[in-house]
Amino acid sequence: MANLSGFVKRLRDIMRNDAGINGDAQRIEQIAWMLFLKVYDAKEQDWEFDEEDYTSIIPDECRWANWAHDDRSGTAMTGERLLNFVNNTLFPTLKKLPVDASTPIKKAIVQTTFADANNYMKDGVLLRQVLNVIDELDLSDYEESHAFGEIYETILKELQSAGSAGEFYTPRAVTEFMAQMIRPQIGEKMADFACGTGGFLTSWLKELEKEVKSTEDRAAFGQSIYGIEKKQFPYMLCITNMLLHDLDVPQVFHDNSLLRDVLDYTADDQFDVILMNPPYGGSEKAEVKNHFPADLASSETADLFMSVIMYRLKDNGRAAVILPDGFLFGTDNAKINIKKKLLSEFNLHTIIRMPSSVFSPYTSITTNILFFDRTDPTKETWFYRLDMPEGYKHFSKTKPMKLEHFDPVIEWWNDRQPLNVDGFDKARCYTVEELSGDLGYNLDQCGFPHEEEEILAPMDLIQSYQEERASLNAEIDRVLAEITEKLGGAEL
Amino acid sequence: MTPQELKNSILQLAIQGKLVEQSPEEGTGEELYQQIQNEKQALIKAGKIKKEKPLPEITEDEVPFEIPEGWKWVRVANIWAILNGDRGKNYPAKSTLSHSGIPFISALNLDGKTVINDDNLLCLSETQYDKLGNGKLQQGDVVVCIRGSLGKHGRFPFEKGAIASSLVIMRSQLVLPILDDFLMLYLDAPLFFSEIKKYDNGTAQPNLAAKSFEQFLFPLPPLAEQKRIVAKIEELLPLIERYEKTWSRLEDFNKRFPVDMQKSILQMAIQGKLVEQRPEEGTGEELYKQIQAEKQALIKAGKVKKEKPLPEITEDEVPFEIPESWKWVRWGDLSESIQYGYNAPAQESGRIKMVRISDIQDGQVMWESVPYCEIAEQDIPTYLLSTNDILFARTGGTVGKSYLVKDVPEESIYAGYLIRTRYSSCLCPEYMKHFMESQLYWDQLHNGTIATAQPNCNGKTLSKMILPLPSLAEQKRIVARLEELLPLCERLK
Repeated sequence: MANLSGFVKRLRDIMRNDAGINGDAQRIEQIAWMLFLKVYDAKEQDWEFDEEDYTSIIPDECRWANWAHDDRSGTAMTGERLLNFVNNTLFPTLKKLPVDASTPIKKAIVQTTFADANNYMKDGVLLRQVLNVIDELDLSDYEESHAFGEIYETILKELQSAGSAGEFYTPRAVTEFMAQMIRPQIGEKMADFACGTGGFLTSWLKELEKEVKSTEDRAAFGQSIYGIEKKQFPYMLCITNMLLHDLDVPQVFHDNSLLRDVLDYTADDQFDVILMNPPYGGSEKAEVKNHFPADLASSETADLFMSVIMYRLKDNGRAAVILPDGFLFGTDNAKINIKKKLLSEFNLHTIIRMPSSVFSPYTSITTNILFFDRTDPTKETWFYRLDMPEGYKHFSKTKPMKLEHFDPVIEWWNDRQPLNVDGFDKARCYTVEELSGDLGYNLDQCGFPHEEEEILAPMDLIQSYQEERASLNAEIDRVLAEITEKLGGAEL
Repeated sequence: MTPQELKNSILQLAIQGKLVEQSPEEGTGEELYQQIQNEKQALIKAGKIKKEKPLPEITEDEVPFEIPEGWKWVRVANIWAILNGDRGKNYPAKSTLSHSGIPFISALNLDGKTVINDDNLLCLSETQYDKLGNGKLQQGDVVVCIRGSLGKHGRFPFEKGAIASSLVIMRSQLVLPILDDFLMLYLDAPLFFSEIKKYDNGTAQPNLAAKSFEQFLFPLPPLAEQKRIVAKIEELLPLIERYEKTWSRLEDFNKRFPVDMQKSILQMAIQGKLVEQRPEEGTGEELYKQIQAEKQALIKAGKVKKEKPLPEITEDEVPFEIPESWKWVRWGDLSESIQYGYNAPAQESGRIKMVRISDIQDGQVMWESVPYCEIAEQDIPTYLLSTNDILFARTGGTVGKSYLVKDVPEESIYAGYLIRTRYSSCLCPEYMKHFMESQLYWDQLHNGTIATAQPNCNGKTLSKMILPLPSLAEQKRIVARLEELLPLCERLK
C-alpha cells in the first residue's frame, strides 16, 4: 500500500523545482491529468476483467502501463525522451481520439477530458519522479481507493486558495449540509448544471449511499447524478472524482448549460433534485441571453442559472442553491421577475444566510442557501442567519468551516422559532405578501449586522457596487416611469 | 437630476398650466379675477378694508412665459393683501419672549408647509400681543419671509399669533381655501424664486420690500383647475419622495465606493495578492534575517539601542494568510528606532527648524510655516530628521496618521507630539508607508477599542505592530502597482 499520507506533499516538493509550474492552480492542473490517466487505467483493468471483449480507446503506446509505469528494469522513459513523448505523442493522440455520438461515455471521457489539457512541466526527470509517486497508488485495492478519494478531496480543496481557480470548489461542509437537508431517496435523479469539481455530486452520493440496500438500489445509485461543467480543468477533476467514487459511467458533460433555449426543455430534461452553486459575477452576452425569455434575461450568470433551475426542476422536485447577497437585495428588472416567478411558481421555504469567509480565501463575499421546491406557490419564507461559530473570527485554510458548524441550523430546522439577538433578527418568517409588497422583493432579511466591515477583494467590491447601483437605478427608473405616467407624458 | 430639480420642474409645469388639461366649462382666470375685484370693491365700500393704490399694468416684456388662454397674469397684491408686522415701539425684544403664550413667529419656525412647534417657537404674553398694531395672524394665513431667508414660507396653523419683522402675511380678502393651496405651490415654484431675484435689493442681507413683493407676477387659473392641479401634485409627492430616498442612497453609495475601492486594493497589496510572487527575489524570512544581522551590528557599534525581545507572533494574532515566501514580523524587530519628539516652544527664529503635526498638510510639510526652536547642540542628532524617516502623530485629531519624510530642505528636528521611526535601508519606505494606511494598521492601533474611540498611537503599540513582509524587490513592485491603481480610484470620486 502506498504511503498516502505524504502523497500530496511529495508531489508538491518535486514540482516546486520545475520552472514550468507557476503557482498552485497550474500544479493542480498538472496533477489532474496524470491522476485521471492513472485512475482511468485502474478502471480499465476492472473492465477488462469483467467484460469479455473490452477494448481500450487509448492506443497501446499511450496506455499507462506502457509509458508511465516504471517496472524498475531501467527502461522507463525519463528526461528529454519522456518529455518529448508526452508533448508530441501522448497529448496529441489523446486529444484527437475518434469520438462521436455513438462512443460509450466511459470511453469518450478520455478525449473530452484531454481536449484542453496541458502539460506544464519542463523537466523530464522531475516528470518521471512525479509519475512514479502517482504510480505507487494501488487503486484496485478498495481501501486504498477509498482512502485516496479523501486525498483527492484535499487536492481539490487546495483550489480554494489557488486564486481564481477557487471558483470551481464549494467547501464540502456546505455541500454536505445541503445534501443532508435535501434528503436523497433511491430512484431520484439529481443535477448540478455548473458542477465544478463535483462537490454536490459526491455529497449527494455519500448521503444516498446510506439508503442503498440491494443491488437494484446500487444500480439506481449509479444512475442518480447528472452534471454539466463548462470549463475543461474542473471537468477533468470532476470526471476523475466520479471514477474514484466507482461511477464508471459518469453522467457528467463538458458543455455550457446556458446555451439551450429554456423554453425547449421537456419533462425528460427535468430532475427530482437540483443542488448548485452557480458562478457569479459573470456578465453574459446577448448570444447567451437569447436563450431566455426577455423578462428573465439578465446579464448576470447566476440569475440565468436560476432560470435554468426553475425550468429544469420536476414537479414536486426539491432544490437548494447557493446565491450571493446581490441576488437577495437586487431589484433590477430581471431579478425582480426571477424572484416573482420563484415565489409564485415555487415554494421558497427557507433562506440560510451564511457568514462571510466561507469561501475564503477565494472570496469573502457573504452567500446564502435558498431551499425551494416545486409544490405550491410560496406562502411564507423562513430566514435564518448562521452566525460565525464560537471562537472563530473568520474561516481560513487552517480553520476551515466544518459540517458541525451547521448544527444550530439543523436543530432549528424542524422546530422553527423566530429568534432575535441584540436587537437584530436572526430567524424570522415573512409572508409572501410582505416580501412582494412592502419589501419589494428585497430578500436581504435577517442579515449580518455590519459591525466589523469586512474588506472585500476589489473584484467582489466592484461586483457588489454594480449590483447595488443597478438596483438603485432600477428603482429610480421605476419611480420616474410612474411620475411620467401621471404627468400624462407632459414634457418636463 | 437631484430630487429638488425634479420637484422644481414639476412645480413649474404646474404653474405654467401644463400639468393638467384646461377645461373651458370651468371658466377663466379673467372671470375669477373680476370676481375677486368686485368682492374687494364691496369690502372697500363697506369700510372693511382700505382702498389700495392701483398696481402698474403688466407689460408684455415682463411676462416670463406663456400661459394657457384661460389663465390670466396678475400681480400678487391683486389677490392677496400683503400685511406687515408692527415694527414700532411695541415690537417685543427677544429677551422678553417665552416658550408659552401666543406664538410669535419668524422665518426660523417655517418649514415650507407649516409652523414647526418646537423649542425654537417663541411666544408673547397677552399684554404684549394686545399692544401690537398689526401683524396679527389668523388661522390658515400664509406667511412669507422677506428679510434674510427670502422666500421661506408656511401656513399658520394656530388660532392666534403674530409675525416677527422678517415676515409678511398674505391674506386674501375672500375666503377661498383652494386659492391658498395653489398659492403654496406657487411659493415653491421656480417662478417665485426668479421674481425674488428680480426684486432683491439686499446687499449684505437679502431684502425684499413689501411693495416689491406686491408686484410679483402670478399666473391665475380658474378655481376648479387650481383644485385639479393641487390634487395632481398630491399624487406626485409620494413618488418624488421615493425618488429622493433612492437618489440619496445612490449618492451616499457613490461617495463610499471610491474609498472602499482604495481600501480593497491596499488590502490586496498587503495580502500579497496584488502582484505575483517571484522565487528568485528571495523571501521575507531572508530579508528579516538580513535586517536582524544589520541591527546587531549597529547595536554592537553603539549606534542603536538594544531592546527587550518582542513576543513571538501567535496564530491568533494573524488576521489573514500571506504567501509562503512572506513573513509576519513586528515593527519593533524591523525598526532601528522609535523615538518621541523634542518638546520645545515654537519660535520665529532659533537654532533649528522644528516640524510639528500642524505643519504637515495633505502629506506635505509646509516648510514656510515650520517654526524654529532652541535645543542643546548635543541633543540635535537624536531628533534630526532624514529622508525616509516615518513620522506618526501620537495625539490630537489626526492621531495615528503617518507621514513619510521625503526631502528635508533645511536641517530640522520634530516636535514632541510626533513619533519618528527609522529602519533599515533594505526596506522599501513607500511599502511601509502604504502599510500604515491599511486597515490592519488601524485595527492594531485601535486594538480592541470600539471603532469610534481614539486610536492608541504610542511607542509600544508601534513596536508591537505586526505587518506582512515580502522581499525588498516585491515590496517595490507592489508599490509600483499601487501607484498605478490608487490614482484611478481618485478618479472615481
